[in-house]
Amino acid sequence: MARTFTTLLFVACMLASSALAQTEIVYWTHEDVNRTELETRLIAEFELDNPGITVRRVTHPSANLAQLLLTAFAAGRGPDVFNDTIANQYPYIVNERVAPVDPAAVGAASLDEVYARYLDGTLDPVTFGGNLYGLPLEVTNWVIFINKNVFEDVGLDAEVDYPKTWEEMMEISEQLVIRDGEILQRRGFDFRYPWYLEWLVPMVEQLGGELVSADGEAIVNDEAWLRVLSYMREWGPHGRNLGSPTYRNARALFNFDNNDIAMTHTGQYQIARIQADNPEFYDSGQLLIVPFPRWEDAVNDQGAAYYGHYFMVNAQSNAETQRAAWQLIGYFAEHAEEYFATSALVQPTHELLASPAYRDHPFSEVFAADMATARSVYYGDNSPRIQQLLKDAVEAVMLQNREPADVLPTLREGVSRALRGDF
Amino acid sequence: MTRRRLKLNTSVQGRQAIWGWVFVIPALAFFSLFAFYPIGNAVYMGFHRKSVLSLRPPQFVGLQNYLDLFNSPAFWNAWKATTIFTLGTFIPLVVFSLLLAVLIVSRKRFQRFFQVTLYSPAVVPGVVAALVWMLMLDPRGLANQWVNFVLGTPGIDHRWLASASMVRLSTMVVYFWGYLGFFTIIYIAGLGGIPATLKEAARIDGANALQEFRYVTLPLLTPTTLLVSVMSMIFCMRTFSTQYMFTQAGAPTEPINVVTLFIFNTAIRDHQLGMASAMSILLLLVMFFFATLQFLASRRAAG
Repeated sequence: MARTFTTLLFVACMLASSALAQTEIVYWTHEDVNRTELETRLIAEFELDNPGITVRRVTHPSANLAQLLLTAFAAGRGPDVFNDTIANQYPYIVNERVAPVDPAAVGAASLDEVYARYLDGTLDPVTFGGNLYGLPLEVTNWVIFINKNVFEDVGLDAEVDYPKTWEEMMEISEQLVIRDGEILQRRGFDFRYPWYLEWLVPMVEQLGGELVSADGEAIVNDEAWLRVLSYMREWGPHGRNLGSPTYRNARALFNFDNNDIAMTHTGQYQIARIQADNPEFYDSGQLLIVPFPRWEDAVNDQGAAYYGHYFMVNAQSNAETQRAAWQLIGYFAEHAEEYFATSALVQPTHELLASPAYRDHPFSEVFAADMATARSVYYGDNSPRIQQLLKDAVEAVMLQNREPADVLPTLREGVSRALRGDF
Repeated sequence: MTRRRLKLNTSVQGRQAIWGWVFVIPALAFFSLFAFYPIGNAVYMGFHRKSVLSLRPPQFVGLQNYLDLFNSPAFWNAWKATTIFTLGTFIPLVVFSLLLAVLIVSRKRFQRFFQVTLYSPAVVPGVVAALVWMLMLDPRGLANQWVNFVLGTPGIDHRWLASASMVRLSTMVVYFWGYLGFFTIIYIAGLGGIPATLKEAARIDGANALQEFRYVTLPLLTPTTLLVSVMSMIFCMRTFSTQYMFTQAGAPTEPINVVTLFIFNTAIRDHQLGMASAMSILLLLVMFFFATLQFLASRRAAG
């Protein structure tokens, strides 16, 4: 009798403990000091509202996140929630590694209602086979950030003399640069080199070229591509020596106002980072933000490509965890205005874009106007490989001084192979 | 009486053998799990097409991955990069570590200090070493400043990370710096094992220092030289972190796209696990071939 009672008690305890068991959500994201502070608070609030759910937020350096995610997913140990750039995330959708959005869990009556919340087109990259696979942490486009101090140092008025065209960008950079022999001590402008899909392809598109045509042809309009590759060659150490991928990332230097870089190109989030890294510079009024340049003879008036980081949910997580994960993402999305206020991250909801907080934010109009002309960044199952092929082509002309005409066929062959899925 | 003693001996040997197995089994299990299983899995995957992210079962393609590799210019470029790096690094490593070891052993004072100083880079993880070197090789870094000071060529950018030949040289220098101390210590251990009486005998016979080194030290160091050359060659063929970090920092990929980096990019960037596995197997076979060749050559030399 006593033994039976003990057994029953044990079973009851087991059942009770499993009923009280927590659903743990593991969330991987890239490092961002401003956002960490906000999300730590939001997660604490979310856990308070949902006593059965705990969230473990893990940050990784943005340069390593893609690899860590891939290896974790390959081993079947991916996090429940993650974000990355869409170019890296799209293969997860195609390979069915992420779960579709649960409208009810994100607080919507239907999928249509979810779409209706966001600016048209911003959910296109995460729509596949009639399903929606992500909600944006941010959607951004890059424009030119200028340190007016450096312009003043050479007698230029940044407000008037800022580069409107790529041709002017080269000439103004030449005026701003300081060299010790061949070594650049101060650069006028320099590109964000590994991210060629985001800025190099739009430069080609401005001239009427394309990376991939609508019918799947790779590298359309040789003239446009050769022009851009020639420009990059001219920019590099074998040309006018204005910059190079081997110098320290211009964006990383820009915030500190150390007289080593005058201009960089980056997204709206950079404003919050400058504010955090160097409040004196931010408050000095010496920061100017202007549109992404166009070619003098551009046939398309087009800004840098816009791209998104999307929250996604691991399809291998159990149903309960998936639902909890979408609840968390829905909670994050409810606070779009706070994301913008603290980190200048734009979750492109109609509500945020119409808010005074967005409209009154410094330089929002520059980003918004350029975004209106921009195309989405290229995304596909093969986008990381295409990014590398573009890198190889630019390095070949800039660093190895190869003729653009010799490099272009290799690029075309590589992209064609990548599109076909061949080795 | 004799039979009983024999039985007892057999029993003791048997028990020792059992305990021997008990001690060896964990190591065998470890190797099976972390070395043999991945190798077996790579052999299997090398005959299949499989995306890293796909949950679908691998698709059998026979030798197609290998045929695609042999037809790929990028694959041959990777072997070219690996060969240049290996020859440019492992030969200087063997030669200079031997010379340094002899030099240190010949010193009467500060032997420990030299050993510790030389060995210290070996304890720095490859990624950290590459990061430190990247700072130095930056156009505005110490490498340009120092070389320009020594050569009296102010303002010259030696393009350590930019030009094809210089970026190759830079990876070799980083690796050489990292492993020189490690192999020197191995040679010092080898030199310590040479009986002093043989050297004394050579000197009594009238050998000078060079002759003593050539006819006594060097032949007796053959096993150590073999170990150092095999290890350094295999290490060089497996080089990865320096090339990876340099390409991440903007260095051109093609000149330093060694086989391991190519494997990594094929798997992680291009998601082609089958192809990457096929390449790993080829790398393993090549390393095995050269290691065997070195063993045979040294056996013949010793014979």
